[in-house]
Amino acid sequence: MAALDVKPKSKKRKQAEEDAPAEPPAFSAPVESLEMLSDDEGPEDTASDDGHVDEFPEIDAASDSEEDGSFEDEEDEEEDSDGTDEEDFEEEDSDDSMDRDIFPKPKTIISDITGQPKRVYPEIEPDYDSDSSTEDAPNRVGDVPMHWYDDLPHVGYDMDGKKVLRPARGDELDKFLQTVDDPSAWTSAFDKTAQMDKPLSAEELDIIRRLYANEVPDAGYDPYEPMTEWFTGKGKEEVMPLSAAPEPKRRWVPSKWEKQKVMTIVRAIRQGRILPSKPKTTSKLEFYSIWAEPSTSHAPPLPAPKPRLPTNSESYNPPEEYLPTDAERAEWEALDPEDRERDYLPKKYSSLRLVPAYDRFIKERFSRQLDLYLAPRIQRVKLNIDPSTLIPKLPSPQSLKPFPNYKSLKFTHSGRARCISISPDGAWVISGDENGVVSLWEVNVGREVKRWKFAGKIGALEWCPRLDVSYFVVGIEEVLHFVIPPNLPSPVLVLTQSLLAPTTLPPASETPSPVKWVTPPTSSWSPDTAILTVQLPQSSGLPKQIAWHRRGDYMATVSSGGAQGGVWMHQITRRHSQAPFKKIRGAVQLVLFHPLKPHFFVATQQYVRIYNLSEQKLLKTLTPGIKWISSMDVHPSGDHLIVGGYDRKLCWFDLELSDKPYKILRYHTRAIRSLAFHPTYPLFASSSDDGAIQVFHSRVYNDLMTDPLIVPLKILRGHTLKEGLGVLQVKWCARQPWLVSGGADGTVGVWCS
Amino acid sequence: MGRLRQKGKAGAAKAYVTRTSAIKKLQCSLADFRRLCILKGIFPREPRSRKKANKGSSAPTSFYYAKDIAYLAHEPVLKKLREHKAFAKKLSRALGRGEWSDAKNLEDNKPVYRLDHIIKERYPTFIDAVRDIDDALCMAFLFASLPSNARLPPVLTENCARLAAEWQLYVMHTRSLRKTFLSIKGIYYQAEIMDQTVTWLVPYQFTQNIPSDVDVRVMLTFLELYQTLLGFVFFKLYTDSGLVYPPPLDVKKDEGGAGVGAFSLQSTSQAAPSAAPKAKAVEVDGRKISGKDVRQAIKTMTGDSATNGGDIDMPTAESSSMEVDEEFVPQQSTSDPQSTSSLTTLKALEALPQSLTTSLFSPYTFYLSRESSRSIFEFIVRSFGGRIGWPASSGSGSPFDESDDSITHVIIDRPPVERTDETAEERERRLRRKYVQPQWVVDCINAGKILLEEPYAQGSTLPPHLSPFGESYEGAYDPTVGLGKQTVEESESEDEDVVLPEDEEEGEEQVAEKSALRAAATANDPASLRAAELAAEVAGVDFGTFEKEVRKSRKKSKAPAKDDREEGEQDMNKMMMSNKQKKLYERMKYSEKKKASERAVLETKKQQLQKQKKREAKAG
Repeated sequence: MAALDVKPKSKKRKQAEEDAPAEPPAFSAPVESLEMLSDDEGPEDTASDDGHVDEFPEIDAASDSEEDGSFEDEEDEEEDSDGTDEEDFEEEDSDDSMDRDIFPKPKTIISDITGQPKRVYPEIEPDYDSDSSTEDAPNRVGDVPMHWYDDLPHVGYDMDGKKVLRPARGDELDKFLQTVDDPSAWTSAFDKTAQMDKPLSAEELDIIRRLYANEVPDAGYDPYEPMTEWFTGKGKEEVMPLSAAPEPKRRWVPSKWEKQKVMTIVRAIRQGRILPSKPKTTSKLEFYSIWAEPSTSHAPPLPAPKPRLPTNSESYNPPEEYLPTDAERAEWEALDPEDRERDYLPKKYSSLRLVPAYDRFIKERFSRQLDLYLAPRIQRVKLNIDPSTLIPKLPSPQSLKPFPNYKSLKFTHSGRARCISISPDGAWVISGDENGVVSLWEVNVGREVKRWKFAGKIGALEWCPRLDVSYFVVGIEEVLHFVIPPNLPSPVLVLTQSLLAPTTLPPASETPSPVKWVTPPTSSWSPDTAILTVQLPQSSGLPKQIAWHRRGDYMATVSSGGAQGGVWMHQITRRHSQAPFKKIRGAVQLVLFHPLKPHFFVATQQYVRIYNLSEQKLLKTLTPGIKWISSMDVHPSGDHLIVGGYDRKLCWFDLELSDKPYKILRYHTRAIRSLAFHPTYPLFASSSDDGAIQVFHSRVYNDLMTDPLIVPLKILRGHTLKEGLGVLQVKWCARQPWLVSGGADGTVGVWCS
Repeated sequence: MGRLRQKGKAGAAKAYVTRTSAIKKLQCSLADFRRLCILKGIFPREPRSRKKANKGSSAPTSFYYAKDIAYLAHEPVLKKLREHKAFAKKLSRALGRGEWSDAKNLEDNKPVYRLDHIIKERYPTFIDAVRDIDDALCMAFLFASLPSNARLPPVLTENCARLAAEWQLYVMHTRSLRKTFLSIKGIYYQAEIMDQTVTWLVPYQFTQNIPSDVDVRVMLTFLELYQTLLGFVFFKLYTDSGLVYPPPLDVKKDEGGAGVGAFSLQSTSQAAPSAAPKAKAVEVDGRKISGKDVRQAIKTMTGDSATNGGDIDMPTAESSSMEVDEEFVPQQSTSDPQSTSSLTTLKALEALPQSLTTSLFSPYTFYLSRESSRSIFEFIVRSFGGRIGWPASSGSGSPFDESDDSITHVIIDRPPVERTDETAEERERRLRRKYVQPQWVVDCINAGKILLEEPYAQGSTLPPHLSPFGESYEGAYDPTVGLGKQTVEESESEDEDVVLPEDEEEGEEQVAEKSALRAAATANDPASLRAAELAAEVAGVDFGTFEKEVRKSRKKSKAPAKDDREEGEQDMNKMMMSNKQKKLYERMKYSEKKKASERAVLETKKQQLQKQKKREAKAG
């Protein structure tokens, strides 16, 4: 009972406090103490309850009933609760005060001033009797957080308002020693207000022990006390009703209003306005004329493509030729199902009754459905043309004669015939191989007239294009040899000798050149040796190419190594060499002189640059789109350039048109090695590592509107492949439509029309 | 300077969305998205540049038109699917809590979507719908034959069977079947409805099992759509030809395995008053059929048995009377007097082949022996105007039994058995009837005429059954055409070669002569020609024959030589083609070559077979 009461009581008390502020202040102190007491009292009360369970209800029966009533009231009408509560509380209060006899009794006296009676309480003496003075509290700082004093020298105030100074505390060592000395150190705790360790009392230790053991901290509390039965059990039933009021009528007469409400619903149900339950959603579809009303103007979506109709091979009884042979069956079975052209193997049954079920039927329908909703659909225009119409119509080669047609003779070298050159009159050929042998022979009959042997591989050789003199240049490792062929008519010979080895050397140029021009003494001249030797700078490597200017005075060489891209420009009359480029981007592959203008073509690995030599500036950069340029030639008109690459492409540039190729041809199966325009005939040829030489008719027009006409004429085959190399160089005879080709197999062939 | 264009704000990046982003936008699950795509007929698109469409990423994804997805967002079906999701949650909760009545309530009010708006949207006109019912029919026929299981409720199978029967009834009624093909996969039928060819494939009547790698949910979603589509199409077809849809089902007949015969076609005028009792007849059990229903049933039976069933021929008679009125009178053109004479009228065109082919079997009465499939041949024969009966073992509802005298053909598919215990009557009947194998029926309708019965007689080896749809491309191998002249010659010469060893005894001389002549024929350059001449002289061939041989061989070799040169020129001219053209050319050539090789393979096979046969005939 007491335990039950504690909570509402304290709550009510607070309310009472608020309600009665007019009460004398002296009253508040006892109230406080009462509260404390009641808290303390709880266990005591229960303990006392335990003692006499049976008698308790009898003792407090009246108050109980009262209490119950108040509880009921609380539940029913909250407004009333306050007043009754107050009464209860006051009664209880008085009871309690009577019991304990703690509170001093007030005396009622007539006030002198007002003449009214007033209550006078006796003076409170702060002696040992007084509750608050039982303990000596040196620090009266109150219930404030002690960390406020952390930075201050004092920890609070004593009764006089003087500061209580922080007691001196030793260092850690002192603390430790103290713990060692004091046997009760481990059962003491630090008291913040006192700033010292206080030993715990036995009760406190017991509480700690209980907490550790997960028990109820209060030793006196019995969690398993037997239930006090108040209302149940024998003889405790309520006999009398709680109130004597008669039963209201509404408890036993059916409600009229309810009836009215129900009747409206019933009427609605009867009339069908309210359905007892919603009509069940049925999956049964009712069909109707859906296309009766006009459709939207939207174009219908494209119908899905229909599956292919079955062919003869799908028949249950196909003609026998449709049946697969064992090889075909094995091939079909070896393929993955998605790679198979047909998803079935033709089979023949002698009668319809023997035809079994098709085991992939459902699978096929399923894949058709997957196609319908998962496959992207593209509309493709079907090209209904004859493939042969795609081939361009070109004039027949027969009408474009003459062009080299067959191999008329063959000249054989021991090594790869890497370079060949034809004399400007078109009668003589020199060919050099990788063993250092240079042969001079006639175009017409192939008779070798003379043979020179040089030290090392022949990199390039070229006749001087002048007709009044006759010599050729042979490029070997870091050296250029100027050689005069034998059996020259004497005026030509004299002129050539005076050109290459003049008696009075031209004055040396101001700028010193690393290239040395050396002429052996007259006495040691012989047809076997060079009349003039140009020593290219050290480590310049093998000259890959020699290109003559059309006048025959200037000559450009490209070496495989060395600075300035390995390009040297040599002037024969001045016996002077210079590097035209201080610095050049990319490895120079080839150089060419423009046939008419003072232009100079330089092919690096991917680009062809055109320089103007007189103005010394870059004119154009052509981008053939070839990975590695192998060969290049310029049309005799100077307006067209062909560039070939190791990636099998041939690009035709119209120099007046664009930096991009006019036409890209890809017909060789291996790298293109050499290209050559015929100086007079409208022909050009390309040779490749596939061992074939392709001859083209190439007509260019002066009219700017007409595109050049390129007609493939003939594929010349006859060179054999050796170590992956085919035809290394092709050259045209100047006055005949004849072609000379040098192959890696060591043969040099002449192809005549 | 114009406005700067931001990347991904226009063009392909905007027009296409990936599947993931589409799902995100629609806020539905992938399964729901698939379902929607199937129902709405939305399929992925292939953008011209995948990279541009996918904002620079080249990861493999499928793209959809952004507009398609935008339309999907407003789809009522999507709304219903979302409602269904909520419903499923509620139901599972109710079941989990054991609130059975709530669950039942929920189940009763389950959201169900309707597809008719989608049908209307996808097929704005009836023709569009008819054009696209091929797949739907295939599915209906397939599912009509599937055994029901946990995933396939029996209702579904029943409905599919009903749709299949309704379609067959309609085709039979309008006689619109054109072609049939017995293939190893099943039977292909082709009908012409509203000038649209509809081809469908029916599996042979065996139990099919759904393989494990087939997603049944996808198939069922398709089937859902197809059922609705077929229902609406059939409704329109039936009502347009003056029939009641759905045709009432006779439960008793159906239980007896009558198949298509369980449904009875009713013209609308006839059915209007009797619609209510009809519906009742479906419900009631066989015993309690009202008198009216019995009369109706008798009527349909007699309608079937009569050669020109009343309800079948009725519309055609009407239409013919209509056409007589609008006779086409050719008027001479004032400007071009010659042009008029060659005009043909629609009537003339219609009259020409159709009447013949669609009533191909009308003079005949067929009887099916029990091993040939009734569902196939009843459909085929009846759609070409024939009458057909079958034994009771093939199902009930046969209009006549085996002893009927009107039977002209018996479709029989078993080897002949010598019967000793037949009565004279039976024997006489047997001699009067023609016993043909089932292929005869199909070949007849594909040929459009009645073929000779002898090659198809019972027990004989059947001639090959060819596809009436022809080959897929022009110039394919045609088994009906005999081999070309050249190949025949070749084979003759080969025959000679085969014969050659036989007459070896004639003497060494002749052999030598022949070899010399052959050498002359092959000699090309002058040196070898000279050698050949000498050899011929040694062998004793006179100069005249030698010259002749040489000239012949020259003539032979010259023509190809010229061809060769032209070919070489062409080859060279190919160099001047652009890369694109070259690739296209190569592709075309490749396919041409492939077709030619296919053809050649078949031809050589046929040749070999013929030779083998000849040899066997000789040996035998």
